[in-house]
Amino acid sequence: MAEWNAFYRNEDEEEEQEEGEQSGESYRITGRDSLVFLVDASKEMFIKGEDGQPSNFDMTMQVVRSVYMSKIISSHRDLVALVFYGTEQSKNPRNSFKHVYVYHDLDEPGAKRVQDIDSLRGEKGAQLAAETMGSGETSLGDALWCCANLYSDIKLRLSHKRLMIFTCRDEPHGGDSVKDRQARTKAGDLKETGVVIDLMHLMKPGGFNVSLFFCDVISPPEDESELGLQEEPCEKLDDLQKRVRAKEQKKRAMARLNLCLGEGLNVAVGIYATAVTARKPSAIKLYRETNEPVRSKTRTFHTQTGSLLLPSEIKKAQVYGKKQIVMERDEVDAIKKFDDPGLLLIGFKPMEKLKLHHHIQPAVFLYPEEDQVKGSACLFSALLKKCSERNVFALCRCIARRNYPPRFAALVPQHEEVDEGNAQITPPGFNVIYLPYADDFRTLDPPHYPAASQVQVDKMKEIISKLRFKYRSDAFENPVIQQHYRNLEALALDMMAPEDIEDLIMPKVEQIDSRLGPLVDEFKDLVYPENYNPESKPCGLLTEKKPKVEVTEDELKVHVQNGTLAKLTVPVLKEACKQFGVRTAGTKKQELIDALVISLLKHFAIDKA
Amino acid sequence: MLARCWDMFSSALVLCMDVGFSMSNSAPGEEPPFELAKKVIQKFVQRQVFAETKDELALVLFGTDATNNPLDQDDQYQNITVHRHLMIPDFELLVEIENQIHPENQQADWLDALVVCMDLLQTETQGKKCNRLNIVLLTDLNTQASPDNLDVIIENLKQAGITLQFFLPFRLEEDEEGEGDADRRDSGHPGTGKGLSREQKSGLEMVRHVMLEGFLSLSTYVSVSESDAIEQLCMFKRIERRPMAWPCQLTIGSALSIRIVGYKAVTEEKLKKMWITVDAQTTKRDDVKRETVYCLDDDNETEVQKDDIIQGFRYGSDIVPFSKVDQDQMKYKHDGKCFAVLGFAKQSMVQRHQFMGNQVVKMFAAKDDEHAGVALSALIRALDELQMVAIVRYAYDRRSNPQVGAAFPCIKQDYECLMYVQLPFMEDLRHFTFPSLENKKLTPSDAQLSAVDSLIDSMMLVNKDENGEQKDLFKPHNIPNPAFQRHFQCLHHRAVSPGTPLPAMEPWLQATLDRPEVIRERCRAPLEEMKRKFPLTEVEKKKKLKTSAQIFGKDAEESDAKNEKDEAEEDYNLADIAEGSVTSVGSVDPARDFRTLIKQKSLPFREVCQQLTHRIEQLLSNKDTLYYMKSITCIQAFREQSVKLGNADLYNSYLQSLKSSIENRGLEVFWDLLVQGMISLFTRKEAAAPQVEDTGDVDDLVSVCSFFIYSDSLFVSLNIYVTVETQAHVKAISSAFVGCDSLCVIMS
Repeated sequence: MAEWNAFYRNEDEEEEQEEGEQSGESYRITGRDSLVFLVDASKEMFIKGEDGQPSNFDMTMQVVRSVYMSKIISSHRDLVALVFYGTEQSKNPRNSFKHVYVYHDLDEPGAKRVQDIDSLRGEKGAQLAAETMGSGETSLGDALWCCANLYSDIKLRLSHKRLMIFTCRDEPHGGDSVKDRQARTKAGDLKETGVVIDLMHLMKPGGFNVSLFFCDVISPPEDESELGLQEEPCEKLDDLQKRVRAKEQKKRAMARLNLCLGEGLNVAVGIYATAVTARKPSAIKLYRETNEPVRSKTRTFHTQTGSLLLPSEIKKAQVYGKKQIVMERDEVDAIKKFDDPGLLLIGFKPMEKLKLHHHIQPAVFLYPEEDQVKGSACLFSALLKKCSERNVFALCRCIARRNYPPRFAALVPQHEEVDEGNAQITPPGFNVIYLPYADDFRTLDPPHYPAASQVQVDKMKEIISKLRFKYRSDAFENPVIQQHYRNLEALALDMMAPEDIEDLIMPKVEQIDSRLGPLVDEFKDLVYPENYNPESKPCGLLTEKKPKVEVTEDELKVHVQNGTLAKLTVPVLKEACKQFGVRTAGTKKQELIDALVISLLKHFAIDKA
Repeated sequence: MLARCWDMFSSALVLCMDVGFSMSNSAPGEEPPFELAKKVIQKFVQRQVFAETKDELALVLFGTDATNNPLDQDDQYQNITVHRHLMIPDFELLVEIENQIHPENQQADWLDALVVCMDLLQTETQGKKCNRLNIVLLTDLNTQASPDNLDVIIENLKQAGITLQFFLPFRLEEDEEGEGDADRRDSGHPGTGKGLSREQKSGLEMVRHVMLEGFLSLSTYVSVSESDAIEQLCMFKRIERRPMAWPCQLTIGSALSIRIVGYKAVTEEKLKKMWITVDAQTTKRDDVKRETVYCLDDDNETEVQKDDIIQGFRYGSDIVPFSKVDQDQMKYKHDGKCFAVLGFAKQSMVQRHQFMGNQVVKMFAAKDDEHAGVALSALIRALDELQMVAIVRYAYDRRSNPQVGAAFPCIKQDYECLMYVQLPFMEDLRHFTFPSLENKKLTPSDAQLSAVDSLIDSMMLVNKDENGEQKDLFKPHNIPNPAFQRHFQCLHHRAVSPGTPLPAMEPWLQATLDRPEVIRERCRAPLEEMKRKFPLTEVEKKKKLKTSAQIFGKDAEESDAKNEKDEAEEDYNLADIAEGSVTSVGSVDPARDFRTLIKQKSLPFREVCQQLTHRIEQLLSNKDTLYYMKSITCIQAFREQSVKLGNADLYNSYLQSLKSSIENRGLEVFWDLLVQGMISLFTRKEAAAPQVEDTGDVDDLVSVCSFFIYSDSLFVSLNIYVTVETQAHVKAISSAFVGCDSLCVIMS
């Protein structure tokens, strides 16, 4: 539905920058994801750390807030709940559980909820928590039961259910074996209904011993190895945030394909998008009177008869070399089909053959799908190991989806890496780097200048080493998106003005200047002559408004007949369209030309007659 | 190569082709030079047409029976025809080449033809701005040419600045071949210049003479296999774009700036043109109009005027009205164009798989500014020596969003530059964790690992040859985008031979997308070994959502909907004969009975419908999938006949009442099946049977054949309009309606 995209693109023209839109992945989502935060509200949680470190409770609230925010931004349809246990007060749907406080029911997060969480943060937050909920007895069993009810009360279909327990107590019931057993049973029930239970254990004096109790409550890790249980408790906010974030997003494969090594040797793999350009969401149309969303209906009809046109009454066409070429709609699709979706191994190449500038779109990630073809993981693992050992990449032809033309891609091996806490930093698998075709390269005419001398280079090296920093890919927030959501937040919460954002991709000019000190002038003395000012614009670039240009009918006629319309500039073409009352679909040069050719050929034909 | 000289400027070119009788001679089993030359010309013109270059082109034939050229006088310049004067190539020319150019029976002096071409170029480019003038000569050199004037001709070519290019149906000797084009793929092949005639040899002498003069830019050969020629032509190659300069200043802090200019160097090229929608009958674009209307989400679908619409955004569960004006005022603003260094980092910290965006921009020092050149060079070399990159803020202009990216140093033999690539923002990253593969169950054995080892050995695409030189067997960046090739091939075919089905993919194209033959041979044994060492078993697919096609067990294999329709018709006729007369809608095959009764017209339509709905109700009272299926066939028949007769009132009202009773009767499962079934039927019908609409009053019928499917309800209404609850449905439906324009999918 190419025209569809085109339609939407036109609507939001400011988004249309110099770089073309990346075709957005559409995932096949069959239900909603849900996440319950089950937070310990016992006294221990409120104990402040040394040196004014935030309390475990405070830390948890910050994490919950950031998850709420990220859900709002990236997946607002997911359901989130916040439940406290070990409270003095009780609040739950049927008030059947003591010491369980449902702060937020399972629902889509909104501005109000973010505000609620904010009020629980910091010193004041602790106070508020003490007033509204207090700390009391603990029964994790009841808390889990209550959460089970939250899930079952939801009428929507839930595709992924997760429950995260935040606590710093490894023996919540102080050794009460009845309560322990009850909790285990309830946890078992929950797991049976497909809920994944995670433990976000927090630091406490003497260390957190998972094996005392919680090992029986939480879900076993996906891979059945011991990984996950040995994790150290979180001490820092960063760690906790990272750990929560890693679990909070459900990974979904963009596609499940076969990686074909040769005839009859197919490995099942899933393709995952690990980096996708986040964009400002598109606007929703609302009815002015009621602010309710409206739906759009697009219909295609015949200009003359006014009757609606069915898909079968429509064909597709393109104009080339003065000729309109018409195709059936299914032919348009058929042209794009080369083969069934899949990856075909072409061969291997040494890593140095992968050029830095061979970049046309963000990479995706490949991981075996053992549950589609048994044995895939083993072969995949062997391939990964060997490619990495021999420092080679696999060159593949990739057809990602039905009726997608093929692309070539380099499968670059990636080791698994874990941090000190045994949390995964990089997953094992292949990064898929898409490679350009010959058409994707532009011929440039590079200018030639003398190279810098070693003295000049060395001076620059000094500058560089003054401004060294450790790059982290998640260090920069997108100021455009952040500002957008701050604005919405302000409007949604009736705030006077949106919160200020920090533009992290703005150079810290003052700091840079002070760090460099005299180095800048020293460098400039070495490379620039005295009166040289790089800021000044070279003369002749000051553009003046050009006088309006027009073409005569005869000239136009010649251009149409010789097919030389493209030689005219866009303003001239626009003027010509106006002159002859030609309706155009757009303002792109090609569209103007096409429109002119079609209607002028007619026009001149009539003239002749 | 040919394409390369055409890069940036508008130019004029004369294709000069030998059609004389010797061109039709060929060794057995080989294509005659004429056919090859014709193909080359076709591909070239095709490429020009589809690239829509502004370059003008003329076609001169020599060896023609007739003579038609401006220099024709007395006995001079005979058998040379100017087939087409200098103008932008179009389809007419392609059709002409296809149908009008045949081998002829004369011979003409190729030097004479060259003179005609030169004359044409000179007279027809007068007053035009042409940066390049080119003559391409396709001949087997098999005619007696008089070398007397050769020097004069060369002098004239030089003065006019015309470059000359030969396409010969045989290879030159090796020593000549290397000239000017070292990376030619087959430069290692032995020459096949043997067996040439005397004329050819003397012709070749002259060609060499011209080459020695130095301005014959390149000579390319029509080689024995077509694909070589095509590769050299890079057919349809390079939708060439003039690179746009982006002048800016690279800044480090407030005091240090360097004037730079950026050019996109690599970017995903897309086809320039979109498909336009035309009316199927008139194929006119103006006959089709698209209109979008807005309506409230209520039962009446109250239409809302465009002026009454404001925009809003979703903030989690809230929808926040946010006017365009407010948005513009409050949005993130910045100072515009910029390339500012934030700091410097180790190259190894910037990972290849985290490159974002879809382009690489090369930054050079500003034009005509040697000082900037030196300053930038100092930065590039310093970065290169330290193995570091600059992390920069990049904004194209005031309207576009700023990015964070890395500028890599790039030092080539003849130039230096920074290469800019966009890097991710925090919001772009998804931190997925995957189970470790270092798992006892998965760990491959040594035998398995060595099988992989030998597979890699056998499939290495980069090898050293006997001379120790590296050879790369497969370079994707030399392959033209196959999607474009196929697209243009099909368009060309449709334009030149309308009314015939689209052609198969060209074999050379298919071959470029597959393993090289050498590799295929080499990896055979290691692959067998891999198969033995790694048992792979496909896991029985878990119950997938049944598609309606499977449920109805009809159209799974039938891609050709028309056939199906015919068969159904036939089937029904046979049944008619076999069954004898039908008097009422029975319970065995109510749908068929219904159709028969309608056809017989022995009972009023209303009554037949009543009988049918009665049966449907009976069937539905047994809550069983089998009975559901039967009812659905009945409803399908009901709809089909209603459409045929142009009377949908009964059908509509029955469906409405059925819908309203679904919940009470607990028939949700049935309804889901029905909706699925109707969608499949509907799409099939629309694709297959446009004739249905021709039978009656247009307006009425449109209202009949169009569906309105809302959530899980199903009515007949004026619009083809689908609204569904879940994305899964959207997927399902939109894939069923592939390419359907009048379909609108909205998420509720």
